[in-house]
Parts: sequence; C-alpha cells; structure tokens
Amino acid sequence: MAHPGQDAKFFQRGKIEEFRAELQAAEAKDKRFVKRKTVLKKIVANITMGTDMSPLFPDVVQCLGTPLLEIKKMVYLFLVSYGRSKPDQIHLVIPNFLQDCNDRNPLIRALAIRTMSYIPIPVVTDSLSDNLRHALKDRDPYVRKTAAICVAKLYAADPRRAEKGGFVEMLRDLMLDSNATVVANAVAALSEIGDRQDGVTFKLNLTIANKLLAAIPESSEWGQIYLLDSLLRYVPERHADAELMAERIIVQLQHGNSAVILTTIKALLYLMNYMENRELIDYICKKMGPPLVTLLSSGPEVQYVALRNILLIIQRRPSVLKNDVRVFFCKYNDPIYVKLAKLEIMYRLARAENAKEVLAELQEYASEVDLDFVRKAVRSIGRLAIKVEAAADDCIQALLDLIETKVTYVVQEAVIVIKDIFRRYPGRYEGIIPTLCENLDALDEPEPKAAMIWILGQFANIIDNADELLDDLCYTFLEESTEVQLALLTASVKLFIYKSQADRAKELVHKILKWATEEVDNPDLRDRGFMYWRMLAVNPTVAGEIVLAEKPAITTDSDRMDRGALDQLLLHTGTLGSIYHKNPEASSHKANPALLLMINQTFIRNAAGKALKDSPALNPQSRAVLVPLMRTQLPPTAVNVPGPGPVEPASEKPPSPTNAPVPPSKSDLSNEDQISSPSSLQETAPSTDDKALTDPNDNDPYSNLGGAFGNYLVDAPRPMTGTQGRHGEDEDLLF
Amino acid sequence: MGLDGIIVLDNIGRPIIQSGFRSSTTAYPLLHIDAVNNAIQKAASPKEVDPVLYVTPYNTVDKPSACCHVESGDIRMLCPVSGDVDPLVAFAFMQTFIEILREYFGTVSAATLRDNFDVVYQLFEETLDAGGHPLTTSSNALRDIVLPPSLLNKLLNVAGANLNPTINSGVGPSAGPFSSPIPWRKAGIRHANNEVYFDICEELKAVVNKHGTTIASFVRGKVEANSKLSGTPDCLLTFNNSQVLSDCAFHPCVRLQRWSRDKALSFVPPDGRFTLFDYRYSPGAALQNSNNPTRDNIAIPLAIKTNIVLEENGVSFDVTLLSRLSTHALETVEVELCLGEGASGIKCALARGLGGGGFVNASARNAEGSTGASWSYDSKSSILKWRIPVVPPSSSWSLKGSCTTSARAPRPSHAIIVRFEISSHTFSALKVDQLKVTQEQYKPYKGVRGRSSGVVEWRW
Repeated sequence: MAHPGQDAKFFQRGKIEEFRAELQAAEAKDKRFVKRKTVLKKIVANITMGTDMSPLFPDVVQCLGTPLLEIKKMVYLFLVSYGRSKPDQIHLVIPNFLQDCNDRNPLIRALAIRTMSYIPIPVVTDSLSDNLRHALKDRDPYVRKTAAICVAKLYAADPRRAEKGGFVEMLRDLMLDSNATVVANAVAALSEIGDRQDGVTFKLNLTIANKLLAAIPESSEWGQIYLLDSLLRYVPERHADAELMAERIIVQLQHGNSAVILTTIKALLYLMNYMENRELIDYICKKMGPPLVTLLSSGPEVQYVALRNILLIIQRRPSVLKNDVRVFFCKYNDPIYVKLAKLEIMYRLARAENAKEVLAELQEYASEVDLDFVRKAVRSIGRLAIKVEAAADDCIQALLDLIETKVTYVVQEAVIVIKDIFRRYPGRYEGIIPTLCENLDALDEPEPKAAMIWILGQFANIIDNADELLDDLCYTFLEESTEVQLALLTASVKLFIYKSQADRAKELVHKILKWATEEVDNPDLRDRGFMYWRMLAVNPTVAGEIVLAEKPAITTDSDRMDRGALDQLLLHTGTLGSIYHKNPEASSHKANPALLLMINQTFIRNAAGKALKDSPALNPQSRAVLVPLMRTQLPPTAVNVPGPGPVEPASEKPPSPTNAPVPPSKSDLSNEDQISSPSSLQETAPSTDDKALTDPNDNDPYSNLGGAFGNYLVDAPRPMTGTQGRHGEDEDLLF
Repeated sequence: MGLDGIIVLDNIGRPIIQSGFRSSTTAYPLLHIDAVNNAIQKAASPKEVDPVLYVTPYNTVDKPSACCHVESGDIRMLCPVSGDVDPLVAFAFMQTFIEILREYFGTVSAATLRDNFDVVYQLFEETLDAGGHPLTTSSNALRDIVLPPSLLNKLLNVAGANLNPTINSGVGPSAGPFSSPIPWRKAGIRHANNEVYFDICEELKAVVNKHGTTIASFVRGKVEANSKLSGTPDCLLTFNNSQVLSDCAFHPCVRLQRWSRDKALSFVPPDGRFTLFDYRYSPGAALQNSNNPTRDNIAIPLAIKTNIVLEENGVSFDVTLLSRLSTHALETVEVELCLGEGASGIKCALARGLGGGGFVNASARNAEGSTGASWSYDSKSSILKWRIPVVPPSSSWSLKGSCTTSARAPRPSHAIIVRFEISSHTFSALKVDQLKVTQEQYKPYKGVRGRSSGVVEWRW
C-alpha cells in the first residue's frame, strides 16, 4: 500500500513473477483500482532504475481498459518503454489505442496519439495515420499541438508514408491555427522535418513569416524560440521586408528567458544581412548590447554560453558592446571557464581609449592564484601591446614589472610575448634585452626557452655576450625538445653571421650543425641543419641575407575570424558550434582530434549546415563574403507539395548552388569594414601591411591562443590558402 | 532543438531519475553520467567543471554529443544534447524544470525527488517531448494535467477514495486543460481573498580596486510578484520614477508594446509566484540619456581598509569594515578572504570600532552578546570567513589576525569578497505609483516591499 512520503521503497527491485501475481490478484475486488495503481507504480519505478520489465507486457496491457487516467498514463509509459521491442504482441494494444483516440477526454486522445507515434512498428503506424489526421483537426488545441509534433515522429519512422498521407500539408495549414501553441509546434515539427537530410525543404514566404510573427506574443517561451528560429528559413526579397521584420521582433529582446533573447539576436543578425538602412543596422546593434549584458547576470553556465556567443557577435558587428568592456572584468570568484571567456572578450574590446583600464585589470589578474588564468592574463598583456600601439609602452612596463616578481611561470609567459612585441615594433624596445637575459635561468619550458633563444640570435649584434649565453644553453642541446633545438640551430647561425670573425661563434655553429645533422633523429632538424650548412658553405653573404631577412610585421589580424565563416557561424548563434569555436580545455584544436571531428559533424554532416542564401536584398557587404552551402551528400528528394504555401516544392532548385565555384574565402576585412560601419574603423588592428603575409597563421603567434579560428577555416568546406590576393576574380566566377 | 532528455544525479553522482531516452540507445544516458562524473573527479572543484561537456560516442557509428549540466542544491541536472542545439535552451529548460519541481515539492532535493518519482516522471512526460521539444512548462497549465502531491491527495489515496477530477469524466464545464486562451493562466481561478504582492529585490555587484576606486558596479533588480487574484484580472502597474529602469526583461505576460510606449506594465498575471520583470538600475539614464552601463557609478554602502603584510611563511592581516549608510543597517555581512594554499594556525581578534551608536547598537548588543561577530576558517578552500549579523549605520568593525603558510612566499588572494543584505531598502529607490486592476469587480489587497543585497569585490 502506498504510504505518503514513502514511495522511495518502491525502488526495491521486485520480481517479475511477484508483480504478475499482484496484477492478477488486483483484477478481483479492486476497489477504485488502488491495488493496480500500486503495482503499476512499482513497475514504473523499476523501469526508471533500468530493470527490464518487458516480460510483464501482456499483463500490463490488460490494465489499459481501466477508466482511470493515472493508470492509463502508467501503462502508456510502459508501452513507450517496451512497445518497440514487442512487435509480435503489439497488436494486442491496437484496439485500446483506437478506443482511446476517440475518448471524450482530450488528454487521453493526445496521450494515445503520442504513445503510438513513439512506437515505430508498421502495424502501429498503420493505425496511427488515420487517427493522426483526425487529431490534427481536433477541436481541442491540446490534441492538435500534440498531434503536430507526432507528425515529425511519423516522418522519422516512414518519410514516404508521411508525405503521401499529406501530413506535411496539414502541418502547413496548422501554421495558420488560431492557437499560438499549435502554431509553434507545427513550426517545430516542420523544422525538424526540414533539418533531415531526406526531408522536404522548409522555407517561409513573406505572408507566412508575418503570420508566425503575429503568433509570437501569445506563445510560450519555447514556442517563441521555434518561431524566431524559423525566421532563418525566410529569405527576404526586398530590403524593406527584412527591415520591417527586424523592427517587429526587436521587442523580444526584452524577454525574460535567456534562450529567447539569444534566438532573437540570431534572427536579427541574420536579417541584418538583407538590410540596406545603415541607421537601422546601427540602431539594432545598439539594442543588442544590453540584453547580452543581462545574460551575464545569470548563473555561470548561462554566462559561459553567452560569453562564447558574444565573442562571435562582436567580431561580426564591432559596434555591439563597444563601450562596455568593464562588464567583462573578471570577478575573483568567477569559475575559471567564465574568466577565460571574459579575458578573450576583454582583449577583443580593447582599443586605444580603454587600453589603460584593460591593462590595469590584466595586471591584477596576473597576481591571481590560478596558474592557467595567470598565464593567459600575461599573454593578453602582450597581445594588447601588439593590438593597440598606444598602449605598447605601458604594456612593456607592466611585463617588466611582472618579470621583476620572479615568479617562474609569469616570467616564462612574459618572455614569450615580449619576443612578439619585438617583432611588432622593431627597434623600439630592444633596451630591455639585458633584463630578459638576467632571467635566463628561470626558463625551463620549451616555448619560453625557444623565444628567449630567438631573441638572443636575432639581436646577437647588440648583445655583447650572446655567444657566451648561447654556448651555455647548448650544453643540454641533445636533451632539449625539438622546438628549442630548432631555435638554437637558427640562433647559432644568426650569431655566426653577425660575428663571423669570432672564434667562439664559429665553434658554436659548427658544433650545433654537427649535432643537428649527425646526432639527432628528427628529420626537420636534420634537414634544416643541412640546409644552413650548405648555405654557409656556398655563400655566407647570401645566407646572411636569407637568415636575417626582414620579417613580415606581426599583426593580430589573423586571429579575427574570416567574415564569411563568421556569417555562417552566426547562423549557428547559440548552438554547440558557437560554444566550441574554441575549446576551453585544450590549448589548441590540433591537440584534440576528437573535437575537430565533432565540429565537422555538427557543421557538415549532422546539422546539414546553414549558409546565407542569396536574394536581391542581400546587401553588398554580406554578398562579398557569401559562402555557398555544400550540401552534397543527398540530393533533395523530389517531393511535390501541391498548392501555394510555405513549403516550397523541393523540386525547385535549392538556392545554394551545390556545384558553384568556390568563392573567395579570405575577404579583405579592413576594406569591408570601411564600407560597412564607420565605428569598426578603430577596430581594425593597428598593423596594416598584412598584404605582405602569405599565410597569416604562420606569422601570428596567437593563432592558438586566440579563438583558434584557423581551425574553423579548416572546417569550412572550401580551400584556404592563397586566396588572399585573388579576391576580385573569384567574385566574378561566383556571380 | 534536440534536448535528448534530462537526468538527475544525487550529490555523489548516482542517477536518481531520468526521462525516457527514446531516440537513443540505453547506453547513451549512462555515457553522459560517466562523462560528468569523470569531469567532476578531475576538476579541482565541482564548480570549475565546464558547463558544456563534450562526450565522445562509444562507437564510431554514433554522433558525438554534448552534455549541459547545472547543480542545484544536492542534485545535479544533466541535459545531453546532440546535433546543433542551442545550449542555452538546455540551460533555460533545466532552470525552468527546477522551478517547476520547487513549485511542486517546495524544496528540490534528492530525497524529495525519490519520494515523488512518479510525479517527476509525469512532469518529464509533459514538459519534454521525446524529440527534444519542450512542451508545457507553465506551472499553471501543468497543474491541470499533473496533480501536485498534496497531503490531501495522499490521504485520499490511502483511504481508497478517488476524487481525482481528471478521471475519465470528459471535459468539465470550464476546467478542461488548455481551455484557457492565455497560456500562462488557467481559466476560472477563484480566491477567497484577492491579494497581490510585489517584492522589489536588487543586487549590487561591484569591484573596487586597491585605491578604493570603484571600477565596475552594477545593480540588477527584479520584481517578484505573488498574485492571488480571481478571474482574469488585467493589471496596470506604474512607477513614479521609471526612468531608473533600463535593460528590462519581462515575463511573457507583460505587453511589451505598451511598455515601449508609456513605461507602464500592463499584464494579466499568472496565478501564484512569478518574476514580473528584471532590470538594471541606471541612475545616469535620466540625466545624460546615455545607454552606457559602465558609467553607472552606484555608491557602495561600505568601505574596507586593509593592511595585509606578507611575511616569510605567514601573513598578517588587519581588515576594517566601515558602513557608509546613514539610516539602514547592513545585515548578515560576510567577509571572505582566501589565504592561499596551506594556510594554517589562524589567529583572529574581532573588535567593534566607533560610530553607529543609538538603540540599534544596544539591541544588537543585547541580542548577540558583545558584538555578535564571528569568524571561521575552512582549511579545504583556505577561505577565512568573517560574519557580522548586523552592522549599524556608520559603525566600524575590525578583524586582526595572522596565519602561517606552508609555502615560503604566501599567495593569498588579492581580493576580499563582502556580501551583505539590506532590508526595506532599494538602491534605485524605485517607487510604485499605483496598481490598477480592471476587468474584475473586487478590490484586491496590494503590497510592495523592497530589499537589497550585494557582493563587493575589494582588491588590495
């Protein structure tokens, strides 16, 4: 018997036979079905614990005739769990299903339909079809909304039957239902069908899109999410349509549900591509900031998701949150994943105007306890120096102060970034080299060690005792990591070129070349050793020109994501893709093939990809970076949905040309920004001559630390390299 | 939107209950439980685990998936998602589900969930469809289809009586589920006393640098309502100083167009407790018409003076807390200082400084002995906590002490975290002008209260 508050004891594992006996006993003299209810409750408890209760199938099914909702619910629960595995016995239940589909109580009608749709066995699907058709036109909205979702289930079980049965058209009609929840569920079902590789294409025309917009205010928050999300399936044909629609949904930014806010922002970002009115775009950008900040007052989990999305949004629309860098200052007790995400955004938002504040914060973080965070903070100081020229002096001073602390890992990080600052601002900060040399002994990790060796080699002409220092470092040459060995090899060659007269330098380079070519197994090191050796032997002057050639200036441009890829990613705003544009655990995607695999799958195989669709309204800035969708695995099935309506016949050529020439993948960011928004001008990184770079990722030391965006480029289905200069001609090919 | 299901774990990582994972194999939820438990084990503290975990499939045919998880009390809720899903939907759904559980059972704990597993199971069924679509989550509509476990119900069950109104009796005159045209309010609600209450709760979050300058300070507030109104009342709430409100986010019941037009809240409330809206307090908005939250500059109601000296193998500290309020008392003040790993041998002396006389002081003294303040040290997290139940206006308090550390150079945190509450006070001084209830004949009883809390990070 059920005692209040002691249901937990139902969790004791019961024996099948015992339950069967109890059920049979309950058939007689069961006043108000209390006994049956108790046994069924025990059985359900056992299902939740994972015990196999399927042998009880015939016995439990018997109870379905009981005219009590609570019991029906439990039996249906049982059926949902085991129906699939009992194709030979399921016919026993069909009469009950049919009876319940015609019950007077809408809850029972809906329950029966829903349960049937969960059991993808032909005999069930057969009897479902007719009843589902009735349920879609039921007078009760609860039944209609349940039935709408069931169509998606039926479609999953048997797509052809669903199409032949005209269910897709019925869903389309439901989009005009008077009840907002029904509309939302119809849209959800159509979206689910449309996302399937073999599904009919789900697109919206202006009339239907407007109808859906009208249903938004009355929908539940989940309904609103479906409705707003479906706007991405509407391709505006005129600027005015996109603008009007954006104006109508902008009010949803004030919703209390975080997912509604993010979906609204996603829809707005999408519509902006089709707008012409600059003022409106700027206005929307301004309106998007505060709700994003609001998300940061939620729990750390929501904050994290929001931060990852903000990082994408501010790259595409730099005017969003432009003046709000303080919002992203880390709190001491933020979880580490929130801190790291904030740090990245702080760096993106840093400009000459706020560099001082940001630097002061970063210095504060550098004294915190968490090791990983401190390292990232120190690196960010270096990145700040490279990004904002006006702040470079202060940053260098800050880094020197940090080196002063003698905390090993702080010093190591500082050395790594200072190397890059030397490259960014040649001839400006070499005066601090002696300070760095004093801390040579503190370096015990490969990366800082290699950085320091690079400095020693590069500036061997101004470091008096460079030969001595390099010689010291050479003692352990054979035990060092490849990174350090390579650095030592190059540095010693540079030293020799600077001081070819000095015996010590000659001796050193000889020693290292010999080691590199004879003692080391690593082919890279050996080959480089041979190459240097040959060069020095043939013509030392030319060797000098090559080794000490002017280096391309370092920029922070390449850790900004390519615009086309950004546009695509933004269509995934608030999806797993937007979270994982950088993996917070692994320092680099390269180190995590599993993650790469996942991104590939969520973007290409599984999610069927999303891409901006071309239309006359697409504005030139977005068109310039348009990336066509590669959805080649399955040709769209030729299903004709007759009549005018939102579901366009799939036989129509999909707007994304599957075999179109590959478009330019690298747009000229700074040019674009000048056209698109004056505010983004300041955002363009200080360095301008990235034209000189052949492959920016090579020159940018931060491509790992930054968003690891390089990997997205790899993931995007198009070739990556060498497209920089060919922008113009590719564009012709595309249009 | 594929939320694959919900799993609830207890505080040692054992599953309590899970929704039916119908579109996946039985191993799928287990895989996610393992992934979360492993991640928690590896992390320094459960708080530091990434909220979205990547879960590798156990064979190559399956798609990889991700697991979103949140902790709430002594349970942890998991929501596995596969495909391109918005993790925010997962988090928003779990948050909503926890709210529903709280409303159904009063508290959310492993014990209550075990006791009421059948109700929880029904809630899973009604709130989340097997295809991952959230269904009905408004508790007003849910109560129609899933009966809350009231004591009366249980008693009737034991007695063998069955007064369940949704027995196969067909549609009643007005009580059919979803018969209400308003999704968040059911039709035909009756209350003997018609009352509606509003709580204005504001929270200050601020960071102060070592020079005592506020570098960031924000106040977010929310208006929590408890409505017990019969019928379908149409409420109109107006404020005297609505210009202090910005970045508002509203409950779906609020007519957004009306708010945009004349800053009045027009709504048909759900029955029971709900958050009407939340907002950011921006004192500057009225003056400079700027939309810039960084220039808010909200005065911080307290000041901290520190003198922390790092010695070899030890730290000595002297912290003074000063209330800057002149009329209200700070309550349940909690000051946290992380002393760094391996700190031990804590010695502390607490004292009450000058200021803040009067009867507030006297009553505090009577109630709590000399000062009522106390300190404690948690050696696991190395956090020293100093608690003061009541800090009267403009009084000062101090904590002096020292500790020894195992490391030669101690690394205590460079921030002191102060939490406090102030009752009957709001930072924004938001004032309700009036509440009009139309469409119904009765005159409801109305009440408004304010309360504030704050978390200040004071760096030194």
